Amino acid sequence: MNFQAKLKGKEYFISVTEDLRTWNVTLQEKGKATEVHEILKENFKRMDQAISFLFENSSYMIDVVGQGTQYTVYTRGSYREIPLFNDESLLHESLKGGGSVGAAGSLKAGMPGKISDVFVKVGQKVDAGQPLLIMEAMKMENEMKASHACVVKEIRFKKGDSVESGAVLISFEDPK
Amino acid sequence: MFKKILIANRGEIALRVIRACRDLEIESVAVFSEADRNSLHVILADEDHYIGPAPSKESYLNVDKIIEVCKKSKVDAVHPGYGFLSENEDFCAKLKAAGITFIGPSPECIALMGDKIQAKKTMQAAGVPTVPGSAGRVKDAAEAVVVAKQVGYPILIKAASGGGGKGMRLVTKESELESAFRSAQNEARNFFADDTVYIERYIQAPKHIEIQVFGDTHGNVVHLYDRECSIQRRHQKIIEESPSPSVPENVRKQMGDIAVKAARAIGYFSAGTFEFILDNVSKEFFFMEMNTRLQVEHPITEMVCGVDLVQEQIFVAAGKKLSWKQENIQQKGHAIEARICAEDPVTFAPNPGLIRRCRHPQGPFIRIDSYAYPDYEVPIHYDPMVAKLIAWGNTREDAIRRLSRALDEFTLSGIKTNIPLHKSILEQPKFLDGSYTTQFIEKDFGDLKDIFSRVDDRVFLLSAAIEAYNYHKDRGSWKANEAPSRWAISGRNRTLRTTEF
Repeated sequence: MNFQAKLKGKEYFISVTEDLRTWNVTLQEKGKATEVHEILKENFKRMDQAISFLFENSSYMIDVVGQGTQYTVYTRGSYREIPLFNDESLLHESLKGGGSVGAAGSLKAGMPGKISDVFVKVGQKVDAGQPLLIMEAMKMENEMKASHACVVKEIRFKKGDSVESGAVLISFEDPK
Repeated sequence: MFKKILIANRGEIALRVIRACRDLEIESVAVFSEADRNSLHVILADEDHYIGPAPSKESYLNVDKIIEVCKKSKVDAVHPGYGFLSENEDFCAKLKAAGITFIGPSPECIALMGDKIQAKKTMQAAGVPTVPGSAGRVKDAAEAVVVAKQVGYPILIKAASGGGGKGMRLVTKESELESAFRSAQNEARNFFADDTVYIERYIQAPKHIEIQVFGDTHGNVVHLYDRECSIQRRHQKIIEESPSPSVPENVRKQMGDIAVKAARAIGYFSAGTFEFILDNVSKEFFFMEMNTRLQVEHPITEMVCGVDLVQEQIFVAAGKKLSWKQENIQQKGHAIEARICAEDPVTFAPNPGLIRRCRHPQGPFIRIDSYAYPDYEVPIHYDPMVAKLIAWGNTREDAIRRLSRALDEFTLSGIKTNIPLHKSILEQPKFLDGSYTTQFIEKDFGDLKDIFSRVDDRVFLLSAAIEAYNYHKDRGSWKANEAPSRWAISGRNRTLRTTEF
């Protein structure tokens, strides 16, 4: 299976195959040489919930959270967020993004929180940098602003609502 | 002694108090909001009462509702923890009227120290040093010379209507004073149409040092030494240690003596903390404020002094005499606490959400006060701190190494936490040599993004790729074991490489 991954602004090509005892993973940072890793399944072992990974004789207790194209990997008091697209999901993405990339889009909640104020109405034209709403999470107020000029198409919540992370809050269309 | 105590709080501090009750075979009563049915304090307490919707105002700050529960459940006393109602004299007075003991100081002390201006005046009268400055407006350069001599250099000349550094001058010696004073006055006149300026001592390399005090209702007061809490982000502490690496022994003794004297002057009982700002160049210290409650960072004092502060609060509230005399209290070894918060370690934005896996570190001289558990959803309504990790060692170096080791073992997945930030702080030269100040995170840390340079990136990439492979294989969306030919791979890569994502 082939993947494209992104980490710290660098792109990687990764291919994964398996046989009975081994994971064969090739890792290539864009523009650099390919590294081939033969990882014994014995050394990448799922314990109760975590994974015990013995890599180049170092021991890592790994937790991977995520599915589809978004993974967060935790170990040794650190973590990395890694988007991983396989061929299929890449094709899917490229089809989605196939049209013109205009101002149309949506504002999503970056974290779960409560909407404490809304400054815009459906049909309203907004300029870049104009405040759209205030979201409250954990005693902090976060003002969300428009990234570019657009028109408010739909507002999917009301003042006082609690919203989940990733929920679409407002959708936009291009200004006519 | 009390038979039943209500804990008017949530999170790790509610657990801390429940445990103290259990240790004394006192029944514990928890209260909870709509957002906290699954919180650990509700699961661990002997008795639970629902007190209202998620927002604090309607639940944990709802004085009447909590007092109603106290009466219904027939509790003898209430422990307020920290935050919420812990420094609310109205709550305190209402409990008293209902015949229920408040585990904390008197409402008079809470009110007095809650008024920052009144507190400063009271402390000055009790002989506690405060930041020296002019009594008000300084008219001209000649007066400034006299005032500056009394205040002591370095000084800051500040515009009374000022802000943003305008009309402000730093003066380190008398020869610079006259011209600095004039230019500050001119700038103040030009910017704020008001040339009133005043003079204040400039604190060099400021450090936050606090002294834990404890009193009983029989007039006994002791101190339990110092804590340094200079590592802060968004003006909130994230790492604390005891003893401070910057306070010389004679200054520590002086601070302790002054704190005891001040606590006595106001008739203080229960746990309290005097916060000072220390000039790390001159080693002078000045009173900032007093916290009339148990502090978040109280465990480091418990570790170095070998005491249980919450238990002692309960004893004192029940009218007992203090268990300790000053000469029995010793600061042994070194303790450091790291506050583990559900937040982005680089931007400090809160990151509440579902905890997937949670493994607490173990081993000698490690203490964890945490309310995290697997599949617990950290609510959005309250403080982002989910755990405190405390390490003790014979020396400061031992404690730092032990804390660093324990941070490695601490897994909280599913949410972002500041564990990676803590790991990096413990490696910074200014932390290691103890010279850090309250501006450490903003000024000395360097690029916060560097915290992700620890641990080999390839470990994360390989693990993510294998797990992504398993995910797609389980969904059956890919014929996993049919390795495509090299031609197919090459062809596919060529078409895909142009894709942006």
